[in-house]
Amino acid sequence: MLIAWRYRERDTLIQRLDPRARILFMLAMLFSVIQFWDLRILLVFLGIALLQFLLARLTWRETRRAWILISIIILIMTILTFFTGRGGTQYAYTEEHLIRRLGPLSLPIVKWQITVNITVEKIVFAVSQLVRMYAITVMAITVPYTVDPSLYGVTFRGLGLPDKFAYAMDLAFRFVPTLARDFAVTLDAQRARGYEVEKLSGGLIAQIRKLAPLLVPVTINAIVGAEDIIDAMDLRAFGVKPRTWVHQLTYKRADKALIALGVLIFIASTVLAFMGVGKLWLPTWALAWAQ
Amino acid sequence: MMEKLKSKRALTWLVVLLAFVVLLALASILTSGDKIRGVAPIVVTVIGLIAVFVIYLLTAQNDAWQVETRQVVYMAIGAALYGVFNYIFNTIPMPSVSQVSLRPSVSIPIFFGYVFGPVVGFFTGAVGNILGDFITGWGVYPAWDVGNGLMGLIPGLVMLFGDKKRSLNFLTILVGVLMALAVAVILINPRVVGPWTGEIEDFSLWAWIFLIGGAIVIAGRFLLEQYGVDLAAVNLWGTLGIIIGIGFASLADIWVNGYSFATAIIGEFAPAAGPNIINSMILTPILLAAYNAVQKRAGR
Repeated sequence: MLIAWRYRERDTLIQRLDPRARILFMLAMLFSVIQFWDLRILLVFLGIALLQFLLARLTWRETRRAWILISIIILIMTILTFFTGRGGTQYAYTEEHLIRRLGPLSLPIVKWQITVNITVEKIVFAVSQLVRMYAITVMAITVPYTVDPSLYGVTFRGLGLPDKFAYAMDLAFRFVPTLARDFAVTLDAQRARGYEVEKLSGGLIAQIRKLAPLLVPVTINAIVGAEDIIDAMDLRAFGVKPRTWVHQLTYKRADKALIALGVLIFIASTVLAFMGVGKLWLPTWALAWAQ
Repeated sequence: MMEKLKSKRALTWLVVLLAFVVLLALASILTSGDKIRGVAPIVVTVIGLIAVFVIYLLTAQNDAWQVETRQVVYMAIGAALYGVFNYIFNTIPMPSVSQVSLRPSVSIPIFFGYVFGPVVGFFTGAVGNILGDFITGWGVYPAWDVGNGLMGLIPGLVMLFGDKKRSLNFLTILVGVLMALAVAVILINPRVVGPWTGEIEDFSLWAWIFLIGGAIVIAGRFLLEQYGVDLAAVNLWGTLGIIIGIGFASLADIWVNGYSFATAIIGEFAPAAGPNIINSMILTPILLAAYNAVQKRAGR
């Protein structure tokens, strides 16, 4: 089984930036966007996220699968929230303008009465929520396609993670292809013995149990092999002194500017939210629906 | 010297965090909770952080927190395994297998946490989740990475106890006390302002849910213990890890994505935690048995 990283080397503006600066910027954006419910402000954040996506020159073909899956999740969650009331945002709106009342529908056995009030606020909230979730997702989705997996350890080292953890991260990325190959070999070996992963029969518990012949050999094999790696690393005095890294990351002027921009946006957002700016925005034309 | 410096720095951070929360709470009270919104999630998060911190400081001398070459390698292997399994079982269609059985990978962080300690468990879950999302190309979602990390960290806490039996006793008492407290608080005053709706609601149903849940956990402990202390310990600590980990991630999404409480429970918590618990309860003991057999043979 071949596992390919989504990362491709592209000579784009985004990829020339330091990964540390990009991750800091992404976190600043995330913590800024979650302070707002105003559709106009959220659209600005979505715009920044889309700009990053476009500047990274990612294509629809590459990202199609992720888009479809994430869109389904976002839609389901928005609809669920629409019907069950708003979440941790009791301050988002206090009064509602009714457009239409659905129901009451009474459930047969328990005799619960279900009514759904469709209000202007609920619709605007749902649209804002959709935009907000997309803004966060577009920001997040760009990372796997544009950050080189081999730079991950040194990136997190640069962000303040201790040497040992940063090295473990590098090691984990390095183990992925090996373990994927082990999995493929195990699958073939079990198939040769008549194991049919395509036709797992039985009830739920039986089906889960039948995955053990795949899971257990790969895991235990990796653990047994680990002892040799530990010995080899100990022999080379791993962790005795601070490490040096093959790849060196240096902040360039653009990276510093990006971090400054991220910090600035975060501070501005926090101050604005403090002052009560950015609550749910109700367009006047939307209120007209209620009549 | 180094140790002293480290604990001093840790304490400084603790004080800074505390001061931050007190300031936030004060600011919120002084403006009658009107101007400064969204203080609650920050305060809750910081209280959680401080709790983890205090547990760590109290047990800092324990071997469970040690990170040597061994732990580094197991962290890497655990994370890589979790990432690869997540990718494989998420993307390869297996038509006959029901969706619930497609979370076998969850047993990896639970197993690694239980066997190699809380640090390895946390790293396995968190970095494994990042890796899996990287290979599938879904992006990075910090709340879910931390949630997956907690799924490995909690089972690792078993190492803080002298033996597995003592850890089970502790867990039973903890569940019992928490359940009694929750039930008492709810039944004494069932009608309070709902934390997510801001309206007055009746919570007495939750008292019964807590009561039944706690009873199932305690009964499960003694039932499983008939078959072996290890089996009971790994399943109980594993289930606790899944509930706390997924619970953390789905509650975080209430504030990140603005879900309603019902959406977080129906849309995220139940479909994620349910299959995870079933998978973990079946597969982790099998992994553990295989590991014990190999260890005995190798004599290490």
